[in-house]
Amino acid sequence: MTAESVVRAADFSARFSDRLNPIVIKELRQAVQSRFVVAALMTLLSIQLVALAIFLLASGDVLLNFDAGRQVFMLLYGILLGIGMLFVPLYTGIRLAAERSDANVDLLFITTIQPRSIITGKLLAAIVLTVLIFSACMPFLVFTYFLRGIDLPSIFVVLALGFLVIIACTQLAIFIASLPLGRGFKALFGVGALLLFAVMYFTAVAGSSELVTQGIGSKLGRAAFWQGAGLAVLIFLFWCGLFFSLSVALIMPPAANRALPVRAFITGSWLVSGVVALLISVSQKDHSPLMVWQIVFNIVFAIALFVAVSERESIGRRVQRAIPALGPSRGVAFFFYSGAASGLAWASLMIVATLGLAWLWGKSHGGYMSLDDLHGSVKWLAGMCLYVLGYVLAGAALRRVLFRQLSVGLTWLLSVFLMALGCIVPFLLGYLLFSSERWTSESFGAWMIGNPFAWGVHSYRPLYFLTASSLVVLTLALNARGLLAQIRAFQPLPAATTQTEDA
Amino acid sequence: MKVEIVNLKKHFGATHAVNDVSFSFGAGQVVGFVGPNGAGKTTTMRILATLDEPTSGDVLLDGVSVVEEPERARHLVGYVPDSLPTHRDMSVHDYLDFFARAYGLMGAQREQVVESVEEFTNLLGIRDKMLVALSKGMKQRVSLARALLHDPGVLVMDEPAAGLDPRARIELRELLRVLSGQGKAILISSHILTELAEICHAAVIIEHGKILMAGAISDLLSTNVERRTVLIRVLGRQAELYRDLLEMPGIATAQLQGADVAAEINGTDEACSDVLTALVGRGYRVIEFKQQRANLEEIFMTVTKGVVQ
Repeated sequence: MTAESVVRAADFSARFSDRLNPIVIKELRQAVQSRFVVAALMTLLSIQLVALAIFLLASGDVLLNFDAGRQVFMLLYGILLGIGMLFVPLYTGIRLAAERSDANVDLLFITTIQPRSIITGKLLAAIVLTVLIFSACMPFLVFTYFLRGIDLPSIFVVLALGFLVIIACTQLAIFIASLPLGRGFKALFGVGALLLFAVMYFTAVAGSSELVTQGIGSKLGRAAFWQGAGLAVLIFLFWCGLFFSLSVALIMPPAANRALPVRAFITGSWLVSGVVALLISVSQKDHSPLMVWQIVFNIVFAIALFVAVSERESIGRRVQRAIPALGPSRGVAFFFYSGAASGLAWASLMIVATLGLAWLWGKSHGGYMSLDDLHGSVKWLAGMCLYVLGYVLAGAALRRVLFRQLSVGLTWLLSVFLMALGCIVPFLLGYLLFSSERWTSESFGAWMIGNPFAWGVHSYRPLYFLTASSLVVLTLALNARGLLAQIRAFQPLPAATTQTEDA
Repeated sequence: MKVEIVNLKKHFGATHAVNDVSFSFGAGQVVGFVGPNGAGKTTTMRILATLDEPTSGDVLLDGVSVVEEPERARHLVGYVPDSLPTHRDMSVHDYLDFFARAYGLMGAQREQVVESVEEFTNLLGIRDKMLVALSKGMKQRVSLARALLHDPGVLVMDEPAAGLDPRARIELRELLRVLSGQGKAILISSHILTELAEICHAAVIIEHGKILMAGAISDLLSTNVERRTVLIRVLGRQAELYRDLLEMPGIATAQLQGADVAAEINGTDEACSDVLTALVGRGYRVIEFKQQRANLEEIFMTVTKGVVQ
């Protein structure tokens, strides 16, 4: 190696370091210094070593079976996944939550670093940490190949699956850490996430065990395997993308257009997954994929209605300066800017588009399987979304008229409360006043007129539809003034203002 | 560098945290921002640092609006918040290097800047120490060093002296003097008013989001409000002077202080002059009539009511 090549390598290294996300560098430097990381890694390796040693020493004749490799692999894999799913999300989440709770994130906002880079950096650092853990455990896991009963493709595919599960858990932990809540509430959400992780852990271990038992090597040439793998990757990408965009929105300064990353991501996912669902529908001559697509996205958009109604009612000058001046561009931009009116418009439009597309596709491809299921689900979700829109708007009207001191950000709480009242009160009244021994769903169906999820009672659907539509019309009228004012205010910053103030 | 805060308002629902605040200062000036808790100091400073958006009004840094051009404004302002760096498992040098990267500094330039800032803030000797192991004074210096990395023209410091021991406070004061000498415009909030009076060229007193008083420190101290304290010494007749003063209109209190009589006069310089004229008219042979300057603390207590919104 010449002196020149050493200088060139150092120069390349410095330039590479400059290009890296500063958050990744910071996080990895902290990880290297952290006793917690070193302890976790050493503990994992020790447990794996001890488990392997105990198995080899105590198993006796089992080693002669053609099953030993699989058994040891699942044991080591279970340990790796368990510790990985606990350690990486907890380490990343707790660190971010601690930084989020004081002025550290604020200090980043006044640098040139973007909120997106902060979350990307945290996730990338977690990925590097996971790679480190997997690399350290890889010799143990690959060693099981020599004990027989497991093929190398199974080892690597199952490890890849475990890797994705850990990253998905970490992204969820980053989302929880980004929530603008106190430590107590975050801890509560953290406990909920841990329960979810437990479910994911057992599902992943059970699924991996099944894959390893069947052997993946023989399936690599089959289209069904790649379809399943592709679907798993798509679900992983949607999960991570959704929580990533939500995390970015949550750590953005309040003055920024927080809605953009989330709405853009959901719209993009809606489009891509819709196309994939249609293609699978066509290839299998079955409406089931489209039905699943429309159910999932309508639930997402119904939740988005609650979020939208809690968004701010006026936009600041910082957001205003990015509004396009041209009418058509401004019209499209309106759906992607923070604000209650734009959020409600976007979610409603997406619901109508999803339902309309699913309905029309069913009509135009009547020969496919599961047509009735598709149309049934479309009707069910149309009713549910109509009710939800009504309750959401009712919450906004109630806040404006009766609870003026309540923060706009808590409007969703009023809406949820109203929805709960709508579900419980009519039914309770009916039960107390008119219940008898033969109170069947047909007789009490009328008392479920406030319940968005009661579309199973077919004979009352016209009544439910009428009630939900009336609720939407009434609450829309009550909110019309405010919503129209928001639409009218969606204008770019006048050039004259800037010039005057600059002068 | 000129900092202009123009009709700044920030409302949180019904609470008017900042209510039509306007003042300006320039390069090399250190301005004290004084007010009781909840007066609107931190909100104003956060707006100046581009962290919050005002309800209306603006802050112009050499004509650059923090509202409409926050990206440009961020290059001009350095912000030291009231909380200290708390990153675990991170050394002083790594912390500064990280922020230098976050400010977009690259390669050799970054290393040079970090080192010079460490040298300026006297952190070179402890650059490899972990942040959690530092004292408050050290952490405050790290915080200041971080704010100086991109060489901003304006420095906004929220309670930088809080919790510091006298030595750390003196060191901070010296650093601020040097920075002011380098032409930086510094806005500093503090509850230690004697400290502010020593280092600030001007002060702004704020309460309930409104400015109660603003100006050069010397002007504030001399133009204080509606009551003056004067020390009067006459030849003989000291007890008589004391009784006369108590009966004289416009005198709030009087008390004997050794050979002098201290009197609190309701009113401004004119009222003092009237008292002196009256004393001479009554035949007193006045040999000393000295107005006692109020300190910033007294002014603060007089003009503020201490009510939190």
